[in-house]
Amino acid sequence: MLVTAVAPHALRGQDPAMSRAFELERRGNYAAAAETYRGVLAGRPGDTAALLGLERALMPIDRRAEILPQVRAALAASPSSVPVLGVALRAWAAADEPDSIRAVAERWAAAVPGDETPYREWGAAALSRRDRPGAVAAYLRGREQLDRPDALAAELAQVALADGDYPRALKEWLLAIRRLPGYRVSAVSALSQAPDSVRSDLLRQLEQERGLNARRIEADLRARWGDPLGALNSLQAALPDERPAALEALRGLLDLLRVQPGREARVAQGRVLELMAERSPGSEHARFRLEAARAYTAAGERDAARRMLVGITDDRNAPETIAAGASTTLVQVLIGEGKLDEAARRLAEHRADMGGDEYAALRRRIVLGYIQAGDLARADSALGADSTIDGLALGGRIRLYRGDLAGAIERFKAAGPFAGDREEATERTALLALLQPIEADSLPALGHALLDLARTDTAAAVAGLDRVAAGLPPGQGGAEIRLLAGRLATAIGKPADAERLFKAAAVPEAPGTAPAAELALAELLIRQRRHAEAVAQLEHLILTYPSSALVPQARRRLDEARGAVPQT
Amino acid sequence: MNRRDFLARSWVGLAALSPALSRIRLPSAAPWLLVPMDDAQADHLKAYGLAFRLLERGGRAEWFLNYRSGAFLLPADAATTRDAALNGITTERLEDGQLVQLRGELQGGNMDAVPLEKAPKVAVYAPPNAAPWDDAVTMALNYAGIGFEKVWDPEVLGAKLRTYDWLHLHHEDFTGQYSKFFLNYAGSPWLVDMVERNRATARQLGYPSVPAEKRAVAVAIADYVQRGGFLFAMCTATETLDLALAADRVDIAAAYADGTPMDSDASRRMHWDEALAFQHAELEQSPVVPVYSDIDGHQVNSPERRQQLGSFTLFNFSAKIDPVATMLVQNHRQVIPDFYGLTTSFTRKRLKPGVTVLADEPGAPWVKYIHGEHGQGTWTFFGGHDPEDPQHQIGDVPTDLSLHPHSPGYRLILNNVLFPAAKKKELKT
Repeated sequence: MLVTAVAPHALRGQDPAMSRAFELERRGNYAAAAETYRGVLAGRPGDTAALLGLERALMPIDRRAEILPQVRAALAASPSSVPVLGVALRAWAAADEPDSIRAVAERWAAAVPGDETPYREWGAAALSRRDRPGAVAAYLRGREQLDRPDALAAELAQVALADGDYPRALKEWLLAIRRLPGYRVSAVSALSQAPDSVRSDLLRQLEQERGLNARRIEADLRARWGDPLGALNSLQAALPDERPAALEALRGLLDLLRVQPGREARVAQGRVLELMAERSPGSEHARFRLEAARAYTAAGERDAARRMLVGITDDRNAPETIAAGASTTLVQVLIGEGKLDEAARRLAEHRADMGGDEYAALRRRIVLGYIQAGDLARADSALGADSTIDGLALGGRIRLYRGDLAGAIERFKAAGPFAGDREEATERTALLALLQPIEADSLPALGHALLDLARTDTAAAVAGLDRVAAGLPPGQGGAEIRLLAGRLATAIGKPADAERLFKAAAVPEAPGTAPAAELALAELLIRQRRHAEAVAQLEHLILTYPSSALVPQARRRLDEARGAVPQT
Repeated sequence: MNRRDFLARSWVGLAALSPALSRIRLPSAAPWLLVPMDDAQADHLKAYGLAFRLLERGGRAEWFLNYRSGAFLLPADAATTRDAALNGITTERLEDGQLVQLRGELQGGNMDAVPLEKAPKVAVYAPPNAAPWDDAVTMALNYAGIGFEKVWDPEVLGAKLRTYDWLHLHHEDFTGQYSKFFLNYAGSPWLVDMVERNRATARQLGYPSVPAEKRAVAVAIADYVQRGGFLFAMCTATETLDLALAADRVDIAAAYADGTPMDSDASRRMHWDEALAFQHAELEQSPVVPVYSDIDGHQVNSPERRQQLGSFTLFNFSAKIDPVATMLVQNHRQVIPDFYGLTTSFTRKRLKPGVTVLADEPGAPWVKYIHGEHGQGTWTFFGGHDPEDPQHQIGDVPTDLSLHPHSPGYRLILNNVLFPAAKKKELKT
């Protein structure tokens, strides 16, 4: 740092030799720059800018030790100059002369009493020679001379980490943080890399320590090591009464929790936000409660979410955006709880507070809720005359579940590929592929079976689809419906049924369905560790339907069945 | 070879000699399959398996060095055609007339056709348990569909190596120090298992310590090469094999491995004439630092010395004069991103004279891929752990090679597997 700090200042100088040296250095002609600096130092051995320039120029050409004659002359000219002492220390480090390093460091320390820099540079010089014990000795010498038990703690922590001594590193980091709390982030980042085998020891060591700093480190480490609730408990017990300090500590943990996956992390996130709300007035209070409600909702903690929302939705003093957000979240909670009528009522009440897209999305979720409850009439009524592409897609589903295949196909086609998210669009395309080979316009039994599926009664859906397929030729929807039934049977753990259905679907009369059925059958066989049968099935698929889009996937499964790649 | 094949091949040979003859229409014969290995190939790695399996079935192939990045010529028999279709390997049908033209092209440039005659019998040196890191060669062999057998210390010391043509070593520590993970990973179940298994094996085989037993294994491997075996080693097996060989009556193992600390003057007392590739290395004295010596240029496990990854460049060789080196560098990429291993690269100044450098990082003081002879056999060392996982960590999931079917790094491994197939004479072991 010192080197770069001096360079711009020197550039302003009028000395032509120095200007030439800087220009050579700027162009990357380091050897010539070094010679020019040497020329300046020959006339003015104590010229700090020239000495630092020479050091800079020699570094990229790996000739740092060649500075020693100029360093000796500079020390003679300016024996207590701090920049000269710094260059001298680094020069002797490059020349690998530990005794000289020590002598210069002591001389430098005497020139700047109370300053850690000489010992820090001394330690760094030892580290550059891969001498970690030497570095520790330098730092400890500094600690002793400065008479401060926390001096150079961060440096000692770094060496301890390099040695793999995590307990010692933690001890030093705690000392460093006590003096400069900003070190906490570095400490946590470094300590979080500790191997599993030492983590519990570190946490025990932290539990022995008092104070907010230790608790914050403990909380951060627990959060990073996959214990978000433990992290919260550690911090909560030590939260100070002072509001800003408590909020700052909670915000730090919140930042960590936000990036942690999993339900426990969401619960912990909700609780942290709740604690922040308790310590915040006015609109901040409402905002944190709303965020807490969202976190609880994401964790499936509906009671807690509802508890957070109570009061915000009906609070006329709450800011408009927060009240609207609370209404939305409350409707989501109600839908999740299956209280569809109440959700619809709340939605109607707060329609004016919401954006159009948000309102439509919630209404469609209510429609889906009615479908899942099997109440197609109310679903249709709730959907109303929604002519958006999402509304058309949902309307197509309602028609499908009623057995009106022609109406469903018409609406699915009108909705096109852009309604809903990618998963919904894919599912709709799959439904179209299922329906199109079927010649009948109406097939209530199929609609009923698919409604069973939408209501998550998969076993009934499989039985229903199997019955429907029995009445259809393979090429006119029978094979496709059996393939779907087979996949569902696989999902609910009925492999024998699945195998029978896949085999019935993998027939030459349905060439569009057969490769998918063969692939599904092979995947089932792989799961059952019937690898030889799976290999035969996959080879049949690849060789019989070489132009099928499923061939690359079949090859992948073939590799898995043969043990050529890791199982996915 | 039956008479009809013989006549057809004779025609091909004659036609190659004279451009005028090449215009003569050849008698009808089974067409050939050209397996391109340039960017037209859909699965470079599996293509090696296709050639290997043909050899296993008793068929013959040719390796067109430097032609379309090292293409293969295979007979278009039913089994080979089916194999290619099942594995998604790109092949191009070739009539005899086209083949004649192609051979003319090979004659004119830095190219050559090497017959592949016999599928080598492959052994992979690996402990019986699953290590918490992947083994690039095992994965490449599995993916390409090349059969192999696993051997470990009892088999090596029991002289079973003589029954194999090709031996692969990977992340093994032949200094007997458990990859120097002993202190940093103390208590990890995989390490406990590794230590117990190695100690039990050393006891069972009558050695006083694991380092002593591992050195005996290293000597047996060097003897295998001396007698005509093909050795391919990656990662830290390269460096530690040579260190173990050179440590004749020198204690280079930490106290946790053999009960006595490392000889403080070990670097000076090593017998480098017994090593295969390296000489005059400075050994790392600290038992905590998972670094063995300055043979490795990258020193990945030493925070102060670790070097950044760059990329390495394959050398060009004369296909007609130096076919062995040419085979080992066949690739569709000349410059390949580097990847770490416990031993990532080989410091140039530590190489013995006579070592052939196959790839290096231009301007860097290290090389990546080297080859040499020892007695009647050859060895090839390739630094790094996993060509498609540049920072492979302990416990990481294995690399799925179906996601890297064009991996140029893995191609180098498979060049080595097929290279012994080009050896015309049987091994004299």
